[in-house]
Amino acid sequence: MASPELGNAGDSSTHNLNSGMEDGSVPGTNKTCPVHVSAEEEAKRSFPKGIARHDYVKISVPESKVNHLPTEWWKTVIAFFYAAFNLVLTTVVLTVVHERVPPKESSPPLPDKFFDYIDRVKWAFTVTEINGMVLVAIWLIQLFFFKYKSIACRRFFFLIGTLYLYRCVTMYVTTLPVPGMHMNCAPKLQGDTQAKFQRVLQLISGAGLSITNSHLLCGDFLYSGHTVMLTLTYLFIKEYSPKSFWWYHLMCWLLSAVGVLCILVAHEHYTVDVVVAYFITSRLFWWYHTMANLQTLKCSPNNYLTNTWWNPMFNFFERNVQTSVPCSYSWPITWASTCLKNPCKKYSMVQSSRDE
Amino acid sequence: MKTVEAWSAEDVSDWLNKEGMPEYIKVLHQTDGPALLSLTKADFTVPPLSRVSPDGGEQLLERIEILQIETHIEDHKNGHANGHIGGIPNGTSKLQRNGTLGRKDFETKIRIPIPTVEPPRSSFPTEWGKTGIAFIYAIICFVTTTVVISVVHERVPPKEHTPPLPDKFFDLFDRREWAFSICEINGMLLVGLWLIQWILLKHRSIIGRRFFFIVGTLYLYRCITMYITTLPVPGMHFKCSPKLLGNWEAQMRRIMKMIAGGGLSITGSHTMCGDYLYSGHTVMLTLTFLFIKEYSPRRFWYYHWFCLVLSAFGIFCILLAHDHYTVDVVVAYFITTRLFWWYHTMANQQSLKETSQSNLLSRVWWYRLFQYFEENVNGTVPRNYQLPLSARAFHWNHAVKYSRLDIQ
Repeated sequence: MASPELGNAGDSSTHNLNSGMEDGSVPGTNKTCPVHVSAEEEAKRSFPKGIARHDYVKISVPESKVNHLPTEWWKTVIAFFYAAFNLVLTTVVLTVVHERVPPKESSPPLPDKFFDYIDRVKWAFTVTEINGMVLVAIWLIQLFFFKYKSIACRRFFFLIGTLYLYRCVTMYVTTLPVPGMHMNCAPKLQGDTQAKFQRVLQLISGAGLSITNSHLLCGDFLYSGHTVMLTLTYLFIKEYSPKSFWWYHLMCWLLSAVGVLCILVAHEHYTVDVVVAYFITSRLFWWYHTMANLQTLKCSPNNYLTNTWWNPMFNFFERNVQTSVPCSYSWPITWASTCLKNPCKKYSMVQSSRDE
Repeated sequence: MKTVEAWSAEDVSDWLNKEGMPEYIKVLHQTDGPALLSLTKADFTVPPLSRVSPDGGEQLLERIEILQIETHIEDHKNGHANGHIGGIPNGTSKLQRNGTLGRKDFETKIRIPIPTVEPPRSSFPTEWGKTGIAFIYAIICFVTTTVVISVVHERVPPKEHTPPLPDKFFDLFDRREWAFSICEINGMLLVGLWLIQWILLKHRSIIGRRFFFIVGTLYLYRCITMYITTLPVPGMHFKCSPKLLGNWEAQMRRIMKMIAGGGLSITGSHTMCGDYLYSGHTVMLTLTFLFIKEYSPRRFWYYHWFCLVLSAFGIFCILLAHDHYTVDVVVAYFITTRLFWWYHTMANQQSLKETSQSNLLSRVWWYRLFQYFEENVNGTVPRNYQLPLSARAFHWNHAVKYSRLDIQ
């Protein structure tokens, strides 16, 4: 990948030199917006007007290209705080909504097509949560070996944060009753803010899973957070892994699909919660990645994809990412090997006098 | 306009600039007209031309050829006729002369050679067939929605059994009875405005196709969400028609009544309950506004603002009337806007009309249908207006007839 690019850069610079053109515009280059100053123009100006004839070997070192995929870890940290903030907000809203859930005696579960056909299976929800944890673990391992971790992480945090933010909104405005009589909701704490605060902490520390006994609050039915995690981790795993690993993609897809199905089998969410969650997650993921991958969209005037409210944040995160992130993996810890290598040999200029 | 043979080096540079090939200017700055005409492909294989030419000189040679043809035509014109035609229209690569340019009596007749130009392929073909298919698709989705509402109505829990769900908006605002009529009047106004605007558009087949497709898909999604989970009625004021358990004929009649009335309560066809997630009224209000705004001139800002107010107030009135839950309206707005923007972005960018690794927008289930509808549309549809059925009328009025004069 490296050598052809170097060759091209060298050729263009020698062309410019010999023909004496300084403003030669290469046809076909697109001006990227937001505007970036390329390093090539500066390099052109610094070339000497003529090559003096000396008796040494000229090794043309091409100008360094602008890094198309800068790491920018600080942006990833900001995205992490955005996601953390939204997760905390979700737990707070959940605690508030819990107080408003109608008791299951007075407001029976709503009629649901899936529940009519499939009866409840008790252990199904555990399967969902195990699948979810396995998928998250696989994604973290994959991320660990991914070369462009900071960019992928940033995107993951941003999408998770936004999805949970949307969830806050839909949970809060209308409260659905519990989907089944089996659900045990913790008692309501009217006005006891101290106890509510403790509940929020308990939820956060257990990540809202029933395996960790932190899934006690009811009312977060539209839409399903478990579906969001299962779908999103699968989409990320598939997007940032080699295309040829079809068995790996299939396995993750099975984990995800079985997990989502088990949510319904366990009668833990209404079908509409799961469908809406899948729809919103997949659409947001594809929307974001298409905008990030296609550079031509950034400049196009008829790009309605920028009409979303989160577009400024998108621009902030993805401004300096100029190509689609390639799927490459490397050992994350590289400092050990460089310590052992010999430092590069240094080349120095040799002045020699000619014998006339 | 002097012939190319008489061009100086400066004229050549000007011409290169005009043709959009500035990279040749420096190299050919010594070249005058005749030298330009004598350039061959071989010249582009040696420096200095080989270095500046990205395609081996093909484009430049082609332009020079066109220039040569124009020169010959000018020669003929100047030699034979008294008048000049105002240039050759741009975009023609070949000119075919019909017949010989024999001249007989140039004092009495002026021969105006009309070049036979190949009609350019329109980038916005009408293709009414595809619009028809989109219309049928929308109709199928509407009918399916009505059938599903009728089915769901049977399953709505009675309001005594399942009270309305707690809703934040209902806690803040009490119900107003007149609000839903306002919503429906606004909706009908917006649909009427959109219809008038659509009739006046030049590319109405393409735009109509888009409207039918998007509306059909939104109602299809609505069928699914309505069917799988049934929400209870949002307020005790609702009067749901009695359930017809198993009586197919009565259900069929109910469906017909609903289709005939458009599902509006003003027409008395909004008697069935259960169609809460998500709100069809919000879909229509939002979608008509988006289409009105998209396909009207940008400077009509007052018109856009008026429609926005109609739309927003209509949606507010749905909630004020306690006719839908807040989550129904929010989800409907979200799905409508996202689908509209998704579809139009894909339709406007050529790069998004092909599946590729970076084009993740192509992973939606309706992508093949989209490609079928939009494959021959090149570029953004311009906002042009044209009275329907008037094109022929204008031609009839303004066509000038030429007749032959016999002069002794």
